[in-house]
Amino acid sequence: MEDDTKLIAASKAGDKKAFGQLVKKYEQLVYSFSFKICRDKNKAEEVLQETFINAYRGLNSFSGNSKFSTWLYRIVTNNCLMMHRKKSHEPVVSIEEADLFKGTDELQIPHWGETPQDVVLNKELKDVLDRAIQKLPLDYRIVFVMRDVEGLSTEEVGKTLNLSVPAVKSRLHRARLFLREELNPYFSK
Amino acid sequence: MKAAEHKKYLFEICEKIDLDLESPTCKKLKEHLAQCPDCAAYYDSLKKTIVLYRNYEVEMQGSRVTEILSRLDLEDDADAKGHLKIKLPKKPDA
Repeated sequence: MEDDTKLIAASKAGDKKAFGQLVKKYEQLVYSFSFKICRDKNKAEEVLQETFINAYRGLNSFSGNSKFSTWLYRIVTNNCLMMHRKKSHEPVVSIEEADLFKGTDELQIPHWGETPQDVVLNKELKDVLDRAIQKLPLDYRIVFVMRDVEGLSTEEVGKTLNLSVPAVKSRLHRARLFLREELNPYFSK
Repeated sequence: MKAAEHKKYLFEICEKIDLDLESPTCKKLKEHLAQCPDCAAYYDSLKKTIVLYRNYEVEMQGSRVTEILSRLDLEDDADAKGHLKIKLPKKPDA
């Protein structure tokens, strides 16, 4: 497969076949990232198509200073945020940190028991993970998925979302704690 | 150990969860986890939270290249002629 620079240059010149190759190369990444943010296959499908349509229209604004995938992450994020604002009537959820001391001076952490890290993700567990992350406000969810799931660096996440590094760290910190707390009842029973 | 002291470690665990505990910056944290079962349980559950989401992959069913390119073609037609050109399917043979 040709490298991105050539494909992008050809696409900018109107070569749809070259753009088709870019779609083919990145569609799984875009779909998967969209799903991880929306947690809904139909929405992920819609975001996938909109993202590549927007990418084609905006190709001239892609300077090549970042990776093409990082640029796509930004478009996906914008599309997910727009869709969320249009369709969502979810109540605002507070993500205050849980009191792990339960009002005492003693730390009270339930043990999760033996959960192998390569545990098979069956339907029940996937539902648990989906429900937990859907409670997380979208701004925090996006940071968690980019940093911890997709493996972007803190700096890359900051650049993509126009956030400072401390702001990324703060959202990530809260998102991690929130999700751990949400999964607690399932794994510590 | 007092709550404030634990809190310091709980914050550090969350900050360093994606680092290798063997790295020099995690030396003190690693020593603490070895002697504090609660912080060790916290570290373990936080690590598993991230790994579970990382392992939750979803595969597309087939490529969408054709749909996306055909949407772009339709938009080009609309741009060129000022209105959207609808491509009708061919009439079936009689």
